[in-house]
Amino acid sequence: MINPVFFDAAVFASLLVLLSLGLTLTYLTTKVPNFAHASFATLGVYMTLIAVRVWETNPYIAVPIAFVMSGLVAIALYVFILKPLARRGATGSIQMIATLAFDMILIAGLNILADYLTEGFRIKSREFTLRSYDLEFMDLPMIVMIAPLAVAIIGIVLYLVLKKTKFGIAVRASTENPDLSGTVGINVNAVYGVAWMIAGGLAGIAGALMALWFLGDPNLGPLLIPSVFAASIAGGLTSIFGAVAGGLLVGLAEVLGTRFLAGEIGSWLIAYRPLIPLIIIAVTLLFVPNGLAGINWSKVRSKVWRR
Amino acid sequence: MASIDPAFIFLTDLIAIFSIYAIINLSLNLEFGYGGIPNFGKVLAVGAGAFVAASVPGRIIAAIANIEGDYIQNNLSVVAAADIWIVDNLGLTMVIFAFTFVVAALVGGGLGALTSYPALRLRGDYLAITLLAFGESIRIIGNNFPPLVGGTLGVQVPDPLSFVPDELRFPTASLILIVMAVVAYIYCEMTIRSPLGRSLRAVRDNEMAAESLGKDTGRVRIKTIIVASALAAIAGALYAIYTGSTIAIAYDRGSWTFWPFLMILIGGLANNKGVLVGTLLFVTLRKVIIFFKDSFEWIVPFDVVWLDMLLLGSILLVVLLFRPQGVIVEKPTHTLGRKTKSRGVVRIFNLLFR
Repeated sequence: MINPVFFDAAVFASLLVLLSLGLTLTYLTTKVPNFAHASFATLGVYMTLIAVRVWETNPYIAVPIAFVMSGLVAIALYVFILKPLARRGATGSIQMIATLAFDMILIAGLNILADYLTEGFRIKSREFTLRSYDLEFMDLPMIVMIAPLAVAIIGIVLYLVLKKTKFGIAVRASTENPDLSGTVGINVNAVYGVAWMIAGGLAGIAGALMALWFLGDPNLGPLLIPSVFAASIAGGLTSIFGAVAGGLLVGLAEVLGTRFLAGEIGSWLIAYRPLIPLIIIAVTLLFVPNGLAGINWSKVRSKVWRR
Repeated sequence: MASIDPAFIFLTDLIAIFSIYAIINLSLNLEFGYGGIPNFGKVLAVGAGAFVAASVPGRIIAAIANIEGDYIQNNLSVVAAADIWIVDNLGLTMVIFAFTFVVAALVGGGLGALTSYPALRLRGDYLAITLLAFGESIRIIGNNFPPLVGGTLGVQVPDPLSFVPDELRFPTASLILIVMAVVAYIYCEMTIRSPLGRSLRAVRDNEMAAESLGKDTGRVRIKTIIVASALAAIAGALYAIYTGSTIAIAYDRGSWTFWPFLMILIGGLANNKGVLVGTLLFVTLRKVIIFFKDSFEWIVPFDVVWLDMLLLGSILLVVLLFRPQGVIVEKPTHTLGRKTKSRGVVRIFNLLFR
């Protein structure tokens, strides 16, 4: 029997990779640190709850629905709030506050949805677990395989889209130089909108999948957001590869790192787990501001080699 | 204690909460409005002040009065005994609480110095995220380290006003708090009109120009953050003493970072009068929603708490989108007038109303 802590690590790391991919994508395109990002995932969690408990179908039906729903919410945030703000020349801090305000509205909405599900359908809609509704595959819960698999597929597809398609070239051009891209006929705003849609959608998928393993609650977003930022920042905030590496690093550090240290030092350490992403954020931004993506690996290798 | 008018309680509590938030918001305005430093870790200083108020005076009194029991384990009985001791030892109590505020200001200032380390090295959103991480840590540590403020159970705080009759306790506290807020307001106005205040705006608006004129931009930033953090820590201590208890989980980034930002943005950045207006609007709105909670519970089919959040979030977005300068707009910097000597009263009047 495999120790369940490895399942925790696998699902949590996959979740963080998906979330930090989206966060990096939006930061890359519009330069806004989006604090509502983790609540997009909470929306996905509720899609799974509805699929399983209200419609009583296969939980994985919720994944595409969550992609669309969270994507639409993300687009709404960009089109109705961030774009007008940017047009007025609002600074990064002001746009960041706007995402916090949007997050507040979103969390209130999710709480109202939770109240409605409890009242209308007699469903436990706070601190609920859906593990028992997961399908089984080779005597293991399916989610522990689906989550990493989904991350691998999404990562490869995203990489191919950004490198090989016309749209990907448009995205990269718009991030490098928006003005010039506009003059050669790229609709920069549309590109940004699609980037936000994909980012929100990936967060929705992450949420829909995590609902099958972790506790679901309307207030998950604020709990999760430091880890997501830590993952993106550790990855450099500007690189897709960095986001994947950062997500894996933070996810594994949080789950396996705490477990290992708790075994070595004492179980009181487990309570301090939320400090790990905060430390990663502070240390990365202060000492290696470009994250994993900014380290010159060939230089490091040659240095290590010489010794 | 027979019957106090609920409207009176409503008003005194409104004044108290307004005063505490006013001090925090004035300090945040100093950093963000005038200095352009996005301190998303405001909760760090506020929480530190509250933690000092929750752990220092109670322990000192327990030591002086020889009260039996561990301060955290037997908190309720120790604080009850301390409250009785306070009634007979007013002079010493005042000294102890004055000392508490000094410690709170020092701890706040020290954390401000720590905060200024990233503030000198990072800019814009990177700085904001780092400070957010700093601020978040105080709640996690306070929640998991019981010797500080009792961990998840929280602690009671001795009440320096326990000699006042019960029905006058809260009105007296409100009176003291509003006086403190006025003092903080005058202090902030004086800071802004001082050379430090002018160079602060200069650094915010054009750092390179300020530097070329010989201003040490780093020093200006450090000073501002330390002063603002000390102020916020005093406000945190006042809040802990006012409410009579402290629990780490209450010091979250929503209540003590995000709401202050909301209030100063609604009122108008870089504008202390605007800060007061924004604070009053926000505190009144929240109080009214909570006060009339029961009366419109049946109108909306869900808990009114969420309506509160929906409303506040939407108001902030509307202000940001349609009136980004806030209710009251920043005035251009005063040029120095002729050196006429005005009398003390007139000068204070000018600070308050001009």
